Amino acid sequence: MMKTNIVLGVIGADCHAVGNKVLDYAFTQGGFEVINIGVLSAQEDFINAAIETNAAAILVSSLYGHGEMDCRGLREKCEEAGLKDILLYAGGNLVVGKQDFDSVKERFEKMGFDRVYAPGTSPDAGIADLKTDLAEAEEMAHYKQDFKKVS
Amino acid sequence: MELKNKKLSEESFFQERKEVLTHWVTGKDVDLQEAVDYLKQIPKHKNFALKMRKAKADGITLAQPRAGVALVDEHIKLLQYLQNEGGADLLPNTIDSYTRQNRYQEGQAAIDESMRENRSMLNGFPVVNHGVHNCRKVLDAVELPLQARHGTPDARLLTEIIHAGGWTSNEGGGISYNIPYAKSISLEKTIRHWQYCDRVTGLYEEMGVEINREPFGPLTGTLVPPSMSNAVAIIEGLLAAEQGVKNLTLGYGQCGNLTQDVAAIRALEEQATEYFKEYGYEIDLTTVLHQWMGGFPADEAKSFGVISWGAATAALAGATKVIVKTPHEAMGIPTMEANAQGIRSTKQTLNLLKGQRLSISKDLGMEKELIKAETKCILDKVFELGNGDLAVGAVKAFETGVMDIPFAPSNYNAGKILPARDNNGAVRYLEFGNIPMNKEIKDFNNQLLAERAKLEGREVSFQMVVDDIYAVGKGTLVGRPEIK
Repeated sequence: MMKTNIVLGVIGADCHAVGNKVLDYAFTQGGFEVINIGVLSAQEDFINAAIETNAAAILVSSLYGHGEMDCRGLREKCEEAGLKDILLYAGGNLVVGKQDFDSVKERFEKMGFDRVYAPGTSPDAGIADLKTDLAEAEEMAHYKQDFKKVS
Repeated sequence: MELKNKKLSEESFFQERKEVLTHWVTGKDVDLQEAVDYLKQIPKHKNFALKMRKAKADGITLAQPRAGVALVDEHIKLLQYLQNEGGADLLPNTIDSYTRQNRYQEGQAAIDESMRENRSMLNGFPVVNHGVHNCRKVLDAVELPLQARHGTPDARLLTEIIHAGGWTSNEGGGISYNIPYAKSISLEKTIRHWQYCDRVTGLYEEMGVEINREPFGPLTGTLVPPSMSNAVAIIEGLLAAEQGVKNLTLGYGQCGNLTQDVAAIRALEEQATEYFKEYGYEIDLTTVLHQWMGGFPADEAKSFGVISWGAATAALAGATKVIVKTPHEAMGIPTMEANAQGIRSTKQTLNLLKGQRLSISKDLGMEKELIKAETKCILDKVFELGNGDLAVGAVKAFETGVMDIPFAPSNYNAGKILPARDNNGAVRYLEFGNIPMNKEIKDFNNQLLAERAKLEGREVSFQMVVDDIYAVGKGTLVGRPEIK
């Protein structure tokens, strides 16, 4: 079976590389084909990599606190680029200061992220969620196809 | 221009300088002679170089936090709080990440948004945007020496602004602010840029103003074997000395095993002194230990344990300075209250241990000799690759993987080596990549890791490395497999 491609990277002017290398290792072990664009990556780099590899998900890390500014508009840019249903995940230390995570999560969900992770989340949680979300997306695709046949 | 480890000529420096000062509008406010006159009249207790030298003479360890926010008045409030409520001995100005990448336009947008939103949108102080007069405003508002702490591959304009602004110390270096902080900037370029920064410091020294320089010791801050970080520190120290730097603080990031950490700091100081002597530089040398730079526990009480252990290590090693972490480390940028708590916890430990040193034992002596021998294997090859020129040698050493920093983001880093802890938590080389260690050293490292693997009933593997990366955050030093 073909492995599912996913794009992984650290957004903005952030150069935190350790977690990025661990996520690469963990998601690869988890059965995904990881396209790791590394640190200091612009939104366009994520989108271009996703288009080139026909990726099912974009995983954005941000450790340095500027994540809120760096992630704004990513969903809209994905749609403009034709990546209509791509899954968007974000995780790390997404904002400056110790803020209530629920409010951070809400802000990122409003920006169009499907999953938002608090600092210290194990890669296993992301892997499990990604498998669930992909299975659901597949089911939905089948359903749409069946619906077309019927109508 | 060809890279060489040679003091920049006056002509080429001042020609370059003209262009550097145009990189952002605030560059026009830098006037070297005016800055020297200004620096000569600031009170002595606000000079970083003098305070470091005195601390070494007195045999004490100074505590310095990291801190910086977007707006000048808020930044002053933060520093005053760390001085008055935290009891810091030295103050930092941590610079934001946009400035570090020379993205001054984005920095300006974030300053504006910080004003509108009434919260700092930046992870540090955008010093280039704020300019010389605001640096001086910050210095006027505190009673301690100021340093810029950043991670900027091209810090030429930043360096001009901070020193003209009265900040008397600058952290960084051509290797240590490239390989862990950049992805696609060549080492040749950053070593050249940092020669410029060091030359600025050298000029101030020649004009009668003492300025402290601190290469960034911990690199990626994650399981960096002491010999690799010591090799980088000694190279950057020698490169700085060639440009006229006189007051130098070499750094090391705590790994967690006391014997190894004390050995590393002492090996660094002794070996650097030998090299400076050999190459004819007179240097006022001090050391800094960074409290644990890897992942922290989320629990604040547990974090204080990690913080105090770093403070104890610095004191027992006899480091001149310790860089302090905070109980919010796991969550990102700390509040000023949490930051002050980290300093108070550190100072309490330092005070308890004042005057105490870990005395030399068989284990400590052996560890120190091992680190020196490993460092020498690396440095010998670097000099050889550069035909005696250290700047050229450093570039070639990274090209060939002779120098290699674990978990670094740079495309100019080979990324072939892997570190892991032995049974006592000391960091060893698991994969040597292309590092030119002799057979004895390789065998010794391999043997220690094989012992650990045997105890844990598993193979030496990358999983071991991953377990070690998360171990401190989960409450132990060595990442043992979970017992099922």
